[in-house]
Amino acid sequence: MASPVDQFKLKTLVPFEVGGVDLAYTTSSLWMTITVVAVTLFLTLSMRGGRLVPGRWQSLAEMSYEFIANMIRENVGTEGRKYFPFIFTLFMFILMGNLLGMIPYSYTFTSQIVVTFAIAITIFLGVTVIGIVLHGFHFFTLFVPPGMPVVLAPLLIPIEVISYFVRPVSLSVRLFANMMAGHTMMKVFAGFTAALGILGIAPILLLVALTGFEIMVAVLQAYVFTVLTCLYLNDAIHLH
Amino acid sequence: MKLRRVSGVAIKAFLALVLLGHGATAATSSSGPKLPQLDLTTYPSQVFWLVISFVVLYFLVAKLAMPRIAEVLEERQERIEDDLDKAETLKKEAYQVRIEYEKALSAAREKAQDATRHAQEEIAKRSAEAESAAQVKVTVMLEEAEKRIAASKTGAEGTSGDPVSSLERSVAQEVVANAVQKLIGVDVTAADIDAAIAATLEERPQ
Repeated sequence: MASPVDQFKLKTLVPFEVGGVDLAYTTSSLWMTITVVAVTLFLTLSMRGGRLVPGRWQSLAEMSYEFIANMIRENVGTEGRKYFPFIFTLFMFILMGNLLGMIPYSYTFTSQIVVTFAIAITIFLGVTVIGIVLHGFHFFTLFVPPGMPVVLAPLLIPIEVISYFVRPVSLSVRLFANMMAGHTMMKVFAGFTAALGILGIAPILLLVALTGFEIMVAVLQAYVFTVLTCLYLNDAIHLH
Repeated sequence: MKLRRVSGVAIKAFLALVLLGHGATAATSSSGPKLPQLDLTTYPSQVFWLVISFVVLYFLVAKLAMPRIAEVLEERQERIEDDLDKAETLKKEAYQVRIEYEKALSAAREKAQDATRHAQEEIAKRSAEAESAAQVKVTVMLEEAEKRIAASKTGAEGTSGDPVSSLERSVAQEVVANAVQKLIGVDVTAADIDAAIAATLEERPQ
């Protein structure tokens, strides 16, 4: 029986190398491309009619848009409007990637730590730059909790600094671990089903429940990733 | 909800750790890392294609999809506000109309009450007039009748035989018929009156 983590192996579809660095177009790249196409088609085709009373697809597209718009308004405020396109793209990219990953034989690129970390570190650096540009040196008061007694400064400031720099790690590991663990678990139960023969009905039932659960996790983790991005952005814009 | 999410993540993390441990032990027995996500040689390619995909998607979403959604939402918002405005003005108009209607209604009611009162007064006046006129007429007739009766009495005392002459009888018949008709609205025949007169004469002490 194949290992349950074999599903995360990348297959090279189109070899591509630049200056000795392997930049091959792999299954992961393929599903990123499919995600881009799917999100674009979803957001444009559904709005083609642009009807006053929306249909199902149009409603979904409008709901996604308003969901993120509200999220930014509530967590960042009006200053967050500038970053709406980025955050909306981020949400749709992760959400579609997670959901497409639930299709059998597809590839979940968000189960790759390097992918989630690349996104998280970009957000972390971007947010830090925004904070420094907006507030200059004053930005570093972010590490000083408001109303902190001076005596506690040597204890609290390092904690704040560490928690700040751990952000990209926690952000990326949360999404990666959820995706990987979910898919691994499903593979394990699928393996049980294959091995148990007629008794495999029990793990199959569990697998059905797990599939529903994983779809929920796919949506939830996309939401969590996006909402945390909003919170970090809010910290950078408003400090405390 | 939050607790459940946390516990779900904890279970998964545990599972992942078990698998990682399994991968690590397998890695020591065989060669190379078992977990594909830790294969560093795939990183440049993944990051490269991630950047391309994300940037392409960013421009597609920001320049193509979002303006269209924003336009449709704005259109709807405007339409809703427009309709609400219209509803508001219509409501005000309806309120105005209602006030006017109520005013007109109360005026009409007053007018109707006035008319009723006038009519009642008129009716009362006319009926009082008619009553008094009838009273006068009846009194006059009674007086006349009494006079005639008195006259016929004196006449009858003088003559013998039939105490009432045929002329007197016919006059009395006419008067009585008229009076009865006027007073109680009953038509009486000459025979009835004759009978009544005869009865009266009978009763009269000779």
